[in-house]
Amino acid sequence: MYGYLIRRLLQFAVVLLLGSIAVWGFTFALPGDPATVLLGPDASEAELAATRDRLGLGGSVVEQYVSWIGHAVAGDLGSSYYSGQPVVSELLDRIPATVQLAGLAMALTLLIAVPVGTAVALWPRSVVGRTLQGYLTAGLAVPAFWLGLLLIIVLAVQLRWLPASSDFVPLWRDPGGALTATILPASAIAVHTSSVTARFLATSLGEVMGKDYIRTARAKGVPERDVIRRHALRNASLPTVTIVGLQLGGFLGGTVVIEAVFNYPGLGRLLYTAIGERDYSLVQGGVLFVVATFVLLNLLVDVFYAVLDPRIRLT
Amino acid sequence: MSGGALDGVVRDGNAHSGTTPGVPDRGAGQPVLRLRDLTVEFTTSAGVVRAVDGMSYDVFGGETLGVVGETGSGKSVSVLAALGLLRTPNLRRVSGRALLGDVDLLALPEPDLRRRLGRDVAMIFQDAISALNPVQRVGHQIAEALRVHDRALSAAAARTRVVELLDMVGVPHPGTRYDQYPHQFSGGMCQRVMIAMAIANRPKVLIADEPTTALDVSVQAQILDLLRVARQETGAGVVLITHDLGVVAETADRVSVTYGGRIVEAGDVTQIFTRPRHPYTAALLGALPRLDTASDRLLPIPGQPPDPSELPPGCAFAPRCPISRGRALCTELRPEPVPDGGGAGASACHFPDEAASLLTARPDGEQAAPVDERAEPAGTRESAGAPVTAGGPAAPVLDIREAMARFPVRSGLLARPSAWVHAVDGVSLRVPAGRTLGLVGESGCGKTTLARLVLRLVEPTGGQIMVDGDDVGKAGRSQLRRIRRRAQMVFQDPYASLNPRLSVGDNVAEPLRLQGVPHGRRRLEVADLFTRVGLRPEHADRLPAQFSGGQRQRVAIARALASRPGLLILDEPVSALDVSVQAQVLNLLADLQRASAMAYLFVSHDLAVIRQVADEVAVMYLGRIVESGSVRRVYDDPRHPYTRALLASVPVPDPVGRAGRRRVPLGGDVPSPVDPPSGCRFRTRCPLAAAVCAEEEPPLRLIAGGHTACHFAEQTPGLKPAERTPALKPAEQTPGPEPAERAAGQEPEVRG
Ligand SMILES: Nc1ncnc2c1ncn2[C@@H]1O[C@H](COP(=O)(O)OP(=O)(O)O)[C@@H](O)[C@H]1O
Ligand code: SF4
Ligand code: SF4
Ligand SMILES: [Mg+2]
Repeated sequence: MYGYLIRRLLQFAVVLLLGSIAVWGFTFALPGDPATVLLGPDASEAELAATRDRLGLGGSVVEQYVSWIGHAVAGDLGSSYYSGQPVVSELLDRIPATVQLAGLAMALTLLIAVPVGTAVALWPRSVVGRTLQGYLTAGLAVPAFWLGLLLIIVLAVQLRWLPASSDFVPLWRDPGGALTATILPASAIAVHTSSVTARFLATSLGEVMGKDYIRTARAKGVPERDVIRRHALRNASLPTVTIVGLQLGGFLGGTVVIEAVFNYPGLGRLLYTAIGERDYSLVQGGVLFVVATFVLLNLLVDVFYAVLDPRIRLT
Repeated sequence: MSGGALDGVVRDGNAHSGTTPGVPDRGAGQPVLRLRDLTVEFTTSAGVVRAVDGMSYDVFGGETLGVVGETGSGKSVSVLAALGLLRTPNLRRVSGRALLGDVDLLALPEPDLRRRLGRDVAMIFQDAISALNPVQRVGHQIAEALRVHDRALSAAAARTRVVELLDMVGVPHPGTRYDQYPHQFSGGMCQRVMIAMAIANRPKVLIADEPTTALDVSVQAQILDLLRVARQETGAGVVLITHDLGVVAETADRVSVTYGGRIVEAGDVTQIFTRPRHPYTAALLGALPRLDTASDRLLPIPGQPPDPSELPPGCAFAPRCPISRGRALCTELRPEPVPDGGGAGASACHFPDEAASLLTARPDGEQAAPVDERAEPAGTRESAGAPVTAGGPAAPVLDIREAMARFPVRSGLLARPSAWVHAVDGVSLRVPAGRTLGLVGESGCGKTTLARLVLRLVEPTGGQIMVDGDDVGKAGRSQLRRIRRRAQMVFQDPYASLNPRLSVGDNVAEPLRLQGVPHGRRRLEVADLFTRVGLRPEHADRLPAQFSGGQRQRVAIARALASRPGLLILDEPVSALDVSVQAQVLNLLADLQRASAMAYLFVSHDLAVIRQVADEVAVMYLGRIVESGSVRRVYDDPRHPYTRALLASVPVPDPVGRAGRRRVPLGGDVPSPVDPPSGCRFRTRCPLAAAVCAEEEPPLRLIAGGHTACHFAEQTPGLKPAERTPALKPAEQTPGPEPAERAAGQEPEVRG
């Protein structure tokens, strides 16, 4: 177990290092001096000097990277040239909203995917199974933004049940309000991702149901419901965990289109705007956050895998 | 450890004696399970397949019913269907009755059926490792069997009971093992766990479907002993399903023989083996290689086992039956089982009294073999000297000297080799032209690695291997290619070694094409090769998938013969084949050798097969040869305790006198080849081990006309085994994990 964890942690560190180097290096790929690139044409001399200092310009390449990452770790990613605010506070403004949307979308995804995937795997030929199979195909085919528009038109504009868009309402302050504010974009995302996850689950569950140990469980006299719950689902969830991890990483990186459709104040829209405005400090800081989150999620998936599968844990 | 309550019972090895086998008196006349006219059909692309065709049998409490028959004869499908465990979507129909006491299992709704499964009737499956849930603790899986039927049982009480059960079935350190996972157990240990699970609720019926088929003989003997004890402990009626006549003869009280989805003969075990009343039973016995007596030639059953999708209208055995002689009754009217005079047995044959005559038939009466010349008088086959020293006048075709192969075990952060698997560790062998060297040993002892070394499919770590005088280890590319032409390999699974997209003819022609033989001559040669291996040349255009296992093995042999090799390396060539087909292939190999004087290196785990085919035998254990010599020397006067234990473990297909047979099954599993025991490698399992064995490695010495690597080789025949751990328990020194996992540097984890 420990060997496995240590190997994963080392891997995590190496990937994070390489990822941060790539994020840092991109300023060098643009024409001009990195400080100017980051700050834009209208920067004052004082700002430029401060940024040059933060980037360690003038030192060797290694010194420059160390200076940059040192500041980044200390929470100094420079300032947005557009708003003048520190990049870190701009990001911190949006991250809770993104985490909330991602969390709700993932919860919905699993809530749909697990029962649907299970039903499709267990009764592929029944009416229920075929109907759900149809849902999965449709869920994959329908683009999330279009579904979002549809939800807005029907539920918000015509029926007026839910707001078409709203400001970020933190869950810990007003759970009901947060839910009404986030449920539409979360659903628009979850329909698509749950179809992917459910298909994965259905395939691996179908495979597991044919395994010898399922037959053993039945021969022991375990009721069918428990055969599925206790023996099949845990084994079938292994490959699905990877997909769920990737999807969550995607959500946390920001779901630009959905945020745009619902006018949701998330990270995706922040970065999208920043790119349009060539606010490279903000872009760099945001991408660094996204990369770090993604790599960390992968680490968590690996750890979770080890928890679920003793064959990984114990060798 | 004190051991379970059962140790004493197993040790005397004749637990089944006492009552006359076959008379189900201890069951008080009441069958615990009755199958009545069970029929199972599947829908397939080839139409409706009737896999089980009106099968009926009874099992009485406390007895063992052996259900024996070749692959595909419906043994497994019948019991799975009876217990509602057959779940394939193409299942079309299950009819008949499966009466557990008075309750018809087939008529029960699923929840009611489940309440009886595991409680009144329990199953043990073939491949125990995959039959256990890989992500659940072994102990929990057994506890579940208890708790689903007894909701009131507390977790703590269940655990106590499970630990008792594990101890009872001979799992060492049951308290620790409770919390481990299946991958930390060896195959034999997994099967013990399955048995513990099956007997947990003291069922009335215990069904074991090929419980020992994937196991080594020594482990098989342990498991069969354990099953016997389990039957006595629970008083259950046992259905033992197997394809192995030896296993049946050793363990069953009564026997049902299956063919084409039906029971063709039933009777008590002695009657079945001595006075069979169905020609199929008699023919199976004739096709079986024997450990006790070497026969000159096996009597194969011609043709193939029936295809259940196209069963003939009359007797299913008619196309292969040696006594039918085309009689109209056989081809037109399906014979129903008719009880014999005594009432205990039944035979589904129109002429049951003619069957026994087959047992006494002489091999010479067989129809013409593909090759008729018998170059050698039979007597010379036994007279060869020991493989290493006999430097006869002719140079050996294969000469292996101190061959060695080690594989690194990588572990740790940087995956650096931290240890070495000593797969082959200083082996010397010689095979002269026209002779067969049989290589036997348990799985994982290095047989296959040694075979692959000969063609340098594995890079040698040391030693020298000469094929026809050429050094394989030093050969350059083109020389190696030439060597590989002269030495051909035949594998266990011909399907994996043939190209599935090429016709069998093209497969056979492939080596010729590579040699640049022109097209026209290739066709002629392929036709000739097909005739030599007993295939029809006009089938050369078919794909491998259209052939049966035995035929595919013939194709593989034909391909090996194409480049006219002087040496064939046969790695378990008949292990995947049924007895009747196995005999065909073994006879074919013998004929080919007589005609062309090829040398064979024949690798097998099956001691009876080796006895049948080999002139010389080498017994391998943990990468070393521990005993070698002529067949007679090794089988009739074995001096190494390992050889003796192996031979004692093989079930003999002769129920007469089984009670008196002295069986001393070997305990435990093969230790890890990563860190072999010091001194004699066998000492951790050796019943005779003494202090010197741990200190000095015994060299191969010339003893009684053969070679044996044991300090006490002179005394072994007279020595009684020392006080040893009870047969149920594997030796404590080998706590059980499989070599592979220990190779990864993993000791069983002990949890706090
Ligand atoms: N799902 C299935 N579809 C079609 N045929 C099957 C299926 N399962 C088993 N069979 C056929 O049933 C026959 C009996 O199989 P089985 O009971 O496994 O034989 P045995 O246990 O005696 O080796 C075989 O011919 C096999 O091919
Ligand atoms: S009924 Fe005829 S074909 Fe069938 S086994 Fe008997 S003799 Fe042979
Ligand atoms: S040398 Fe000792 S341990 Fe080895 S086989 Fe002989 S008696 Fe047994
Ligand atoms: Mg079977």
